[in-house]
Amino acid sequence: MLIGPACILIVIFKLYPILRTLIEGVFYNGHWGLETYIRLFHDNTFWNSLWVTIKMNIVITPIQLVISLIFAFLVSTAVKGISVFRTIYYLPVTISLTVATLLWNMMFDVNSGILNSILNTIGIPNQGFFIDKKQALWCIVAIANWKGVGYWMMFLLAGLKGIDTSIYESAILDGATWFKRTIYITLPLIKNTILFVLVADTTSNMLLFAPMQIVTRGGPQGSTNVLMYEAYKSAFQFVDRSRSSAIVTILLIMIGTICVFQFKLLTTEEED
Amino acid sequence: MRVSVQAADYRGGRLTMTRKVISHAFFWIVLIMIAIFTMFPLLWGIACSLRSDTEIFKYARPLSYHTFVPVKFSLDSYIRIFRDFKFQRPLLNTFYVSAVTIIAGCLINSIAAVAFAKFKFKGKKIIFVAILISFMIPFESITLPLYSVVNSFHWVDTYTGLIVPCLADGLVLFLFNQFFKDFPESILEAAEIDGASIPKIYFKIIMPLSMPVFVTAALMVFMNEWNAYLWPLVIARSPGIRLVQIAIASFKMERVTLWSCLYAASIISALIPVVFFLPFQKYYVQGITSSGIKG
Repeated sequence: MLIGPACILIVIFKLYPILRTLIEGVFYNGHWGLETYIRLFHDNTFWNSLWVTIKMNIVITPIQLVISLIFAFLVSTAVKGISVFRTIYYLPVTISLTVATLLWNMMFDVNSGILNSILNTIGIPNQGFFIDKKQALWCIVAIANWKGVGYWMMFLLAGLKGIDTSIYESAILDGATWFKRTIYITLPLIKNTILFVLVADTTSNMLLFAPMQIVTRGGPQGSTNVLMYEAYKSAFQFVDRSRSSAIVTILLIMIGTICVFQFKLLTTEEED
Repeated sequence: MRVSVQAADYRGGRLTMTRKVISHAFFWIVLIMIAIFTMFPLLWGIACSLRSDTEIFKYARPLSYHTFVPVKFSLDSYIRIFRDFKFQRPLLNTFYVSAVTIIAGCLINSIAAVAFAKFKFKGKKIIFVAILISFMIPFESITLPLYSVVNSFHWVDTYTGLIVPCLADGLVLFLFNQFFKDFPESILEAAEIDGASIPKIYFKIIMPLSMPVFVTAALMVFMNEWNAYLWPLVIARSPGIRLVQIAIASFKMERVTLWSCLYAASIISALIPVVFFLPFQKYYVQGITSSGIKG
C-alpha cells in the first residue's frame, strides 16, 4: 500500500502520543484514578500558571488579530512597490522564535539595551523589562507579536484578495465611507479567514514556550510561568510524567473549548 | 486634520488634490514606519555583530550616531563563533537533518497523497480524518509522550530520533493532496494504458509535473526543521548533534556577556532561512495560505 509508510509513522509518532498524553494523566502510581488532577488542583503553582496563561492569551490573540488585519489592509492596496513591504512584514516569520527572543532580549537589557537608551533620550527612566515581574510577560507578548503578525497577515491578505471588487461599487455609489465598507462588507466576507486565524493563533499562543524557557525561566516570581513551561518542567526537571500529561491535557481541553467558542461566536454573527 | 479634509471635500478642485496628497503621504509614512519597526531588530543585530563587545557597551548610552553605526567594523565575532565555539557543527547538523527530512518526508507524504487523491480504497475517509487530526493537534503538546516513544526505540541523542518522528507531516500531506486532486486524470490513464508501473508513473510523470508543490513542501519542511526548538531540545542533548537553535540558546546561557558573538550567531541563523525563502516566497505563501483556508 502506498499510504503505508506515512500512516505507520503518523500512528506511532502522532496519534499514539496523543492517546498516551490523555491516558497518563489519569494514571497514578500504577493504578487508574484522578489523583494527579486532584493534586494539581491543590497546587498554587498550577493556579498561578493557569492565570498567567489566560492573562497572556486574552491580550495577545486580539492584539495579533487586529494588527495583522491592519497590516493586511495596508499591503492589500494596489500600489507600485507594495510587494516589497509585504515581504518586509513577512520576514520576522522566517526567523525562529529562539533568535527573535535572543535579539529582543539584548535590546530589552536594563543597562545596555537599546530600548532603554531610546526611552532615556525622550526622558523616560530605565525600565526593568524582563527583570520586572509586571513587565516580563508583556515583553514576551511584544516579541510574539513582532514574530507572529506577518504570518497571520498573509492569510488575511489572501482572504482580502479573494473578494470580488465589484461588490464595493454600489456601496461607493451609495456614499458609504471606507470605514463603513470595511465593517459591513469586507469583514463579514473574510469571516472564515478570520475564524481560521483566530483558532490557529489561539492554539499557537496557548503553547508558546521558547521565550520562557530561554530567557525568563518562568520568572520573575512566576510571572511568566505559563502552563506549557510548567508541563515541560514537570517532565524534564521534576521527572513527574503524570503531572506533565495532566497539564497538557488541561491545555488541550482549554484550546478545544476556546476554539468551539470562537466557532459559535462567528457563526451566530452570520444569522444576525 | 480631519475637519480640514472634510472641508476640502466640498471645495473640490485643488484642495481635493492636497487631500489626496496628504492621505497618500500618510499611507506611505505608516508603511515605512512599520517596515522600520519590523526590520529594526535585524538591522540592529547586524550592526552589533560587526563590532566588538567593548564598543557595544561603550556606546549603548546616551544615544548617539555610534550607538547604531560601529566606529570600527570588524568580522571578529563571526570568526570567533566558528573558530572558538565551533558554530559550524550545529549548522552542518541542521543542514543534514533538514536535507534528509526534506527528501524522505516529501517522498513519503507525496506518495501517500497520490494514493488519497487518485485511488479508492476501504477506510480512506477514516484514515484521512485521522491524519487531519494529527496535524491539528499541536506538536508541542505531544512532545513529552513522544519522547518516551522515541526513548523506547533507543533513539535519544541520535539523528534517527531527530528525523524519523518528523517525517510524516499531516500538513505537508494535505498540501500535496490539494495539488494532486486537480492533477489531470487523462495523463495518468494514458500512462496506465501504456503499461507504466506505479513507481514509473510517480517518478516520470507526477513528480516532474508537480514541481511547484514539491518546492513549497520542501521549503515548508526546511523552515520547520531550521527553526525547530522544543523537539531538538529534548531529543538531541549532547553537544555533538545539537541543532542550530539549541546551540544559540545554550550559547546565550553559557556565555551571557559575549553579545557580539551572540548577535553574529543569531544573524547567521536568521539569514539562512531568509535566503531560501526570498526566491520562492510566492509559492511558499500561496501553499501555506491555501492549505490554511481550504482546511
